[in-house]
Amino acid sequence: MKNLSIAPTKYTPSINLDANTGIFEIIGKSYPENTFEFYQPMMEWVENYFSSEPQEQTTVNLEIIYFNSSSSKLFFDFFDIFDAKKSKHAICINWIYDAENENAEEAGEDFIEDFTDLKINLVVKDA
Amino acid sequence: MHSSEEFAAMQLHFSETIDKLEKDLRRQTKIIQRSDHRQQKEYDELQQKYKEISVLSDEIEATQREVVFTMGAIGESRSKETGQHVKRVAEYSYLLATHYGLDETECEMLRQASPMHDIGKIAIPDAILNKPGRFDAAERKIMDTHAQLGFDLLQHSQRPLLKIAATVAYEHHEKYDGTGYPQGLKGEEIHIHGRITSLADVFDALGSPRVYKAAWEDDRIFQLLREERGKQFDPKLIDIFFTHLDKFLMIRDQFCDT
Repeated sequence: MKNLSIAPTKYTPSINLDANTGIFEIIGKSYPENTFEFYQPMMEWVENYFSSEPQEQTTVNLEIIYFNSSSSKLFFDFFDIFDAKKSKHAICINWIYDAENENAEEAGEDFIEDFTDLKINLVVKDA
Repeated sequence: MHSSEEFAAMQLHFSETIDKLEKDLRRQTKIIQRSDHRQQKEYDELQQKYKEISVLSDEIEATQREVVFTMGAIGESRSKETGQHVKRVAEYSYLLATHYGLDETECEMLRQASPMHDIGKIAIPDAILNKPGRFDAAERKIMDTHAQLGFDLLQHSQRPLLKIAATVAYEHHEKYDGTGYPQGLKGEEIHIHGRITSLADVFDALGSPRVYKAAWEDDRIFQLLREERGKQFDPKLIDIFFTHLDKFLMIRDQFCDT
């Protein structure tokens, strides 16, 4: 299956989903005008990844510096996909943020609270 | 009629849908709470930054104004003119610019730049600059270089204010009928900033004592300005001057020399 790679813009993060390594990286800012439209290719790709031949271990690295409310909602939906697959696949989500980024930290805590059985790590980057 | 299996499946589907809705609602509420909290923080920060920028910007503008006035005063002080002269020229220029219809930012910039019109005088020898009595031809020639010298000093700057100052220094001795110096520009070839500062400067100089002359009476000044309408000066500016004469005289009183 083909990898998915989307270059960053002022309002959107870089997205690199590698089907061969099972490492997904989303890095940057996320406040597009139409969040769900922007992320639709990514959501579809991930669904396809799991229904084709996923790697034994799938690792998701999310480093979102700034995000709007609909991006928060989108990330919940995104994690729902992994939540549905977690019994059959090894999945690890790393929610990465700078120590002083209080918003990102709070969002990470919300995800953990919501997805009790999903492996979500809060990874604090030192300034 | 539904079989009991079908019914059970429907029940399951229904309860799953309700669960999903409840979950979405819970998430939505949390997202909105977080978002409200964040908006508050972001807007607070924005206002704080705006305040800081505004303080900085005031500071920069005040510094700029002071530097510009000081530069203008240096030019004037060497010729024994007062610091008040540059202030009056600034205010007259602003007033003329406003009534001429330039936009507010430009008027304000001209107010700040016009005091630098004589900055080139810093390069004129004292013996000539402060000579009592009339210049001979050679001295006049040297004296007249101050417009070019001022332009040379300022022309390399990319700052909008100093660009205006360069124009003003260069063109404040041009005359509307083309008989001025250093370029002999005519009519609207002379930049409006030059035309304005020229009138502001001459009006003030005539009413002030100089080493080579006493201050003129108002009637004599007004007569000369009327005579020079369309000759030395832009007729539109002379008209503005006489229409708003009271305002010009108020500035003169406000920034008087004693």
